[in-house]
Amino acid sequence: MPDLYPYKPGEIESIVLPDQTVGVWINKVYKFYKVVFIEPIPRCDAIEFDFGALAAGVTTAITQLNLLEMPDREFGQFRGFVIDDIAVNLWQGRSDGRYKLNNRNGRLTRATDLRDPCGHTTEFYVHEDDFAFMQVLNPTDYDLTQTRVAFYGFRYVLEVAVDASGRQYVWSPGKPENHLPAAWTRVPATAHL
Amino acid sequence: MGSHYQQPVRGIRKSSPVVLTLVAATPLLLYQRTTGGQNPRTVIVRKIIAYNLSGGNATLDIGIGLAPLVNILPTFFIVNGMTDAWPEDDIPEVEVAADLTLQSTPAGVYVQVEVEEIE
Repeated sequence: MPDLYPYKPGEIESIVLPDQTVGVWINKVYKFYKVVFIEPIPRCDAIEFDFGALAAGVTTAITQLNLLEMPDREFGQFRGFVIDDIAVNLWQGRSDGRYKLNNRNGRLTRATDLRDPCGHTTEFYVHEDDFAFMQVLNPTDYDLTQTRVAFYGFRYVLEVAVDASGRQYVWSPGKPENHLPAAWTRVPATAHL
Repeated sequence: MGSHYQQPVRGIRKSSPVVLTLVAATPLLLYQRTTGGQNPRTVIVRKIIAYNLSGGNATLDIGIGLAPLVNILPTFFIVNGMTDAWPEDDIPEVEVAADLTLQSTPAGVYVQVEVEEIE
C-alpha cells in the first residue's frame, strides 16, 4: 500500500487511492466520501491564471479562482507557484486566508520554490463550490504587464461513504450520532479553522 | 578564471535596464531594488556586461549611493571600444540593502547587470 497523505513532500502524488475514504473539512465538520475516480491535472498554460497588468506596489482585489472550481461531488488537490515577480495570498472563502499563523498569512512568491521545489507547502484543496480566491501584490518598483500563477494536481470524484449497513458516516465528536469510518484521510478543503 | 565554489541559490534573478553613463564621474541609478514586499529585499550583483563607446579607455564603478557613489566592487577598466563581461564566478558576493548605482570616466559606457534579490 503506498504511503499517501496530504501535503506529502516530493513530487506531487494523489493523497488517496480509489475506493478509499476521505473526510472533507467543510464548514467545521468532516463529510465522508469514498473516492471513486482520480484524474491528474498537469501543469500547463490552461490551468494558469493571469491577473493582468498591475502597477508597482498595487494589490488586486480578492479574486475568485474560477478555473479551479470543482463540479458537485468532486474535490481538487492543487499545488501552485508564481511565474512573475508577485506575492500572492490564498483565500478559501473570501475571508479565510490560508497558510495562516496567529498574526500573519504566508503567501506565494518567487522565493517559495527556492526552498520548496516540489511545492508541497503550497498544497490546498478545493471542494465543489467552496471557492478559492487569490489576491496579488506587485512588490516591485515597476509596473507588471502580466501577473501569472500556475496550478497542477489531481481531481477526485466522490460518492457518499456508507458503512456495510448503508448508514452514512457522521463526524460529531462526543455526540451519540458520531459515526466514523475505520480509516479515512482528512482533506482540509476549506478554511474555517 | 572559474570557481568550483557553490552554495544554494539564495534569491531571485533579475536584471537591470541597460544604462548609458551620460556625464563623466557622475553616478546614475543602475538597479532599483524591490522594497514593496513584506520586507525590502537585498541585492547581490551576479553578472556585469559593459560596452565602452566613450572614445577612450574607461573606468567603471558599481556601488551604492548617488552623492557620492560608494564602490561595492573594485573599479573596472574597459579598453576603448570593447565589450567586457564579468560572470558571477569572478564577482565577489557583496550583498547590499540599497539601490545599485554606477559611474564611468569618461562618460559613454553602456552597462547592464544581473542581480540576485534576497527576500
